[in-house]
Amino acid sequence: MKTVFFKAGNAGYFLNEVKTMIRLNVFSTTLTILSTGLIFYILAMILSGWWVSSYVIKVVQGEAEINVYLNEGIVNSTPEVQLMMERINGIEGVRAVRLVNQEEAYQRMAEVLGKEAKVLEKFEENPFSAFVELKINLEAIDSVLDQLNQLVGVEHIRDNRDVLDRLRHIAGVLRLIGILVVVAVGISTLVIISHIIRLGIANNKEQINTLRLLGAPERFIALPFLLEGLVLTLGGGILAVALAAFSLNYLYAQLAGPLPFIPLPPREGLVAGMGIVVLSLSAVLGIVGSLLGLPSVKND
Amino acid sequence: MTMIEAKGVCLRFPNGTKALKDIDLFVKPGDMVYVTGPSGSGKTSLLKLFMGIEYPTSGSLKVLGQTMIQGQTAGIRRLRTIIGPVFQEFKLIDGRTVTENVMLGMRFLNLTQDQLMENAHHALQKVGLEHKAHSLVENLSWGESQRVAIARAVARKPVLILADEPTGNLDKANALNILELLTSFINDQTAVIITTHATHLIDAEKPCKVIRMDQGSLTWERLG
Repeated sequence: MKTVFFKAGNAGYFLNEVKTMIRLNVFSTTLTILSTGLIFYILAMILSGWWVSSYVIKVVQGEAEINVYLNEGIVNSTPEVQLMMERINGIEGVRAVRLVNQEEAYQRMAEVLGKEAKVLEKFEENPFSAFVELKINLEAIDSVLDQLNQLVGVEHIRDNRDVLDRLRHIAGVLRLIGILVVVAVGISTLVIISHIIRLGIANNKEQINTLRLLGAPERFIALPFLLEGLVLTLGGGILAVALAAFSLNYLYAQLAGPLPFIPLPPREGLVAGMGIVVLSLSAVLGIVGSLLGLPSVKND
Repeated sequence: MTMIEAKGVCLRFPNGTKALKDIDLFVKPGDMVYVTGPSGSGKTSLLKLFMGIEYPTSGSLKVLGQTMIQGQTAGIRRLRTIIGPVFQEFKLIDGRTVTENVMLGMRFLNLTQDQLMENAHHALQKVGLEHKAHSLVENLSWGESQRVAIARAVARKPVLILADEPTGNLDKANALNILELLTSFINDQTAVIITTHATHLIDAEKPCKVIRMDQGSLTWERLG
């Protein structure tokens, strides 16, 4: 009689075995799903924080600009300003050049100050200078700054590199924390799942021995345990995604009021992406954790 | 073809105990063999050798053509799929129904779902337990559990049935029923080996071989 590992009719049997194992150990199953769920929740939130910070940096980088203040002698001469703007525009890495006159500079500051703008009224004259505003490719910022510094007539250059550097630093830290959390989550999940599988195998020692005595292939014996591990981690993953989606909805609602200027990524996309990654990771960890626990079937 | 061919088989446990001594045994298709003897005489050890649970420490043993030596994992696993074992302690799986237990022994064989169902149904009918098909095995009586174990063994249509003390702990009427049931699976393609210490239950009218074991050694009592 030829033996087969898997056939369509056995799908129901394997699922039923998983259901029975879960039913017979409902307490430990619930605790496992809760604990893996909480671990995956931490992962989901770290991943979301990582994505949001990366998105913010990308948006801010897209807005990277440099303000060039010209000498008094030049800024009052329209032809020289035009000539200077043409030179600046010719620098590689500069995307656009625009003159911001004194009035516009004053208005911009008034907008930034908001209710406090009345302090500007105390000045008898407009205290702001006209400047040239440059949109640049961020990768070229160093060479653009070098060339601007070499131009005669440039008095002062202001760039937002410090802000970008700080954002990059924060994103780097978040990325590092993310990687550490992913590693920690991975190891914790593997340990929990392989331990649960080992316990399941110990609890079902008699059944495993009986199947062996009846000639069942090892893969046939092991598959329900592998599926059990998958169900446990997927259950934890689904719980984590639900909690994380709820938390993100809440955070978005909280940020939308007081901090509307923070460029957040679309919420639906973020939740969907996070969900896919967490569920995929939970499935992979479930299978790997089970595979690590399964050798005890052979050693039994 | 000889179903079992044992020549000078000895079994010594790691602690030095000699469980079987110089066993010579040949079983052919159509044979009904009773292995009798007191507790501890080696009956169960002999069946364990035939199932590949233990291996001879000396001598040679072939079961259905498979040489029984350690390391022949794949071959012994294949052999186990064509044997119908009935264990002394039944080895039914709790939390599953009677039908699920009977089907368990066939799930990894090359049978369709319909064949699985049909074989299980026929086996349960044969042992008179079709009305308990959906009962959980932990709710069965001793005798019923014994019959489920037999149904599981025969449902996959084995060529060799090995039953270890199938009448143990049963009253005389039930024990006779079980023996009659096992005898009914004999045909010119199959053989049945039953260990029992209840020699008074063996039907002297029916053709069978009775061997007696004592302290690991075997003596033929009756050839029929």
